[in-house]
Amino acid sequence: MTQEAQTAIVELKDVDKRYGDGPLILDKISFSAARGEFVTLIGPSGCGKSTILKLISGLNPITSGRIVVDGLEPSKAVEKLAFVFQEPTLLPWLDVIRNVEVPLRLHHTDPSTRSELAKRSLELVRLSDRAHYYPRQLSGGQKMRVSIARALSVSPRILLLDEPFGALDEMTRDHLNEELLAIRQQLAWTAFFVTHSVAEAVFLSSRILVLSANPGRLHSELRVDLPYPRTAETRESTEYQKLVAHVTHVLRSVENLKAT
Amino acid sequence: MNTKSKGRPMAQVIGYLMPVATGVGMILAWYGICFGLTPDQRFLLPPPHEVLRAFIDKGPALWDAALATGGGAIMGFVLAVALSFSIALFLSLSRLVRASFYPYLMILQMTPIIVIAPILILWVGPGLKSVTVITFLICFFPMVVNTTQGLISTDSNLVDLFRMCKATKRQEILFLRVPAAMPYFFTGLRIGATLAPIGAIVGDYIAGNSANGKGGLGFLTIIYSSQFQMGALFATAAVGCLLGFVFVVTVMALSWLALHKWHDSFSRSDT
Repeated sequence: MTQEAQTAIVELKDVDKRYGDGPLILDKISFSAARGEFVTLIGPSGCGKSTILKLISGLNPITSGRIVVDGLEPSKAVEKLAFVFQEPTLLPWLDVIRNVEVPLRLHHTDPSTRSELAKRSLELVRLSDRAHYYPRQLSGGQKMRVSIARALSVSPRILLLDEPFGALDEMTRDHLNEELLAIRQQLAWTAFFVTHSVAEAVFLSSRILVLSANPGRLHSELRVDLPYPRTAETRESTEYQKLVAHVTHVLRSVENLKAT
Repeated sequence: MNTKSKGRPMAQVIGYLMPVATGVGMILAWYGICFGLTPDQRFLLPPPHEVLRAFIDKGPALWDAALATGGGAIMGFVLAVALSFSIALFLSLSRLVRASFYPYLMILQMTPIIVIAPILILWVGPGLKSVTVITFLICFFPMVVNTTQGLISTDSNLVDLFRMCKATKRQEILFLRVPAAMPYFFTGLRIGATLAPIGAIVGDYIAGNSANGKGGLGFLTIIYSSQFQMGALFATAAVGCLLGFVFVVTVMALSWLALHKWHDSFSRSDT
């Protein structure tokens, strides 16, 4: 336990969350993630998986318990984090490259470094040729890639992704999953990913946390022992398909738990 | 959604001809009514060519009046833009601020201008100053409401993004809330632009400078109506229309310049 705590980059201990006098959203959530892990949170709607990301990011305060992010309180660790939202949430009045520069600009990075970092970030998502397009000229998948490039521009150590590909069609989603892993291969951040898609969860993660709802509790934890780098062929392997079937089964039992 | 009319030249020609045809039809109908009137009623509605003649005869007077009214309208409008923007920024600070001040702004909007005009004349003096203030009062409110709405409607995820990047309140307002409010701001501006010339004419009518005989369109209206110069009154109305048109087109051009690159309301192609 102590050894794990040493290498953990994010640790949650007995975290409770409620909004005001409202019902309990999260009930004694405890888990930790080691540097470089890809942890996916999955569960029925209302299980508070997005809330967990918000707590780690320091955007919302916890009700009780403890969160440590790289040795610090979440609100003091924001420089180490980047958030990718459900929607691309780009600034529509700025072109692509300036959107990617937004966090750097807010951090007062000097202009030359800023544009260099933004360019590199845009290269990672292979959108350099769209640098001067406006968001409304891009497809849904491209907008999401810009959003990821923006998150990567600050060289985060931890990436929080709140169902980023939920609104995209399956082909685009598969494609972006592969790209995300390829980028991670180069940059090696720790990822926390929220999704509704079992296939996506298995493909991306080194570990899957299954949550149950009302209130959100940690139900079970599954290791995904498929070796990285994973590619499109990974989806065709029997181990992958077995894991998808297994996680689907676990998730179904969690859903039934909710119904009773 | 937008069918390409390029492929059908006939449809395009008809598209241009129809408005012209409607205009010609309306002028003919106007003549028709004029001829239907008995001789002693005829002065009520001068035929189009008489209005045109009045337009030419009174040209210099109308031009001077249009300039005077236009000046008042511009000054009142610019004052309203500047003040409404500042006040909207203030109102956007918090719900409490809005709750405390909105009701009183509403009262300002409800106050009948005609009734407070004499007070205004005593306060700022007749003429351009009064016209400016009255124009301001008429177009101020919709601008405040729209801009405030824009400033508080920013996407909450974007606000979160800015907070995660430790943006200061200043940065949040300058780089996020103000640009995000621009479409709303320009909607308010367009409403204001239709109201400003009307406000200036009304202002001139009730508080225009009659002392030196150099008034605006409102003042001309008083003179022509006292002399039953119907043609000249129609011509004055037409000038008022033109003035409003110039205002609206100018603001629409500004709005296009500011927004066309990024805002959906100006998108032509669905990419």
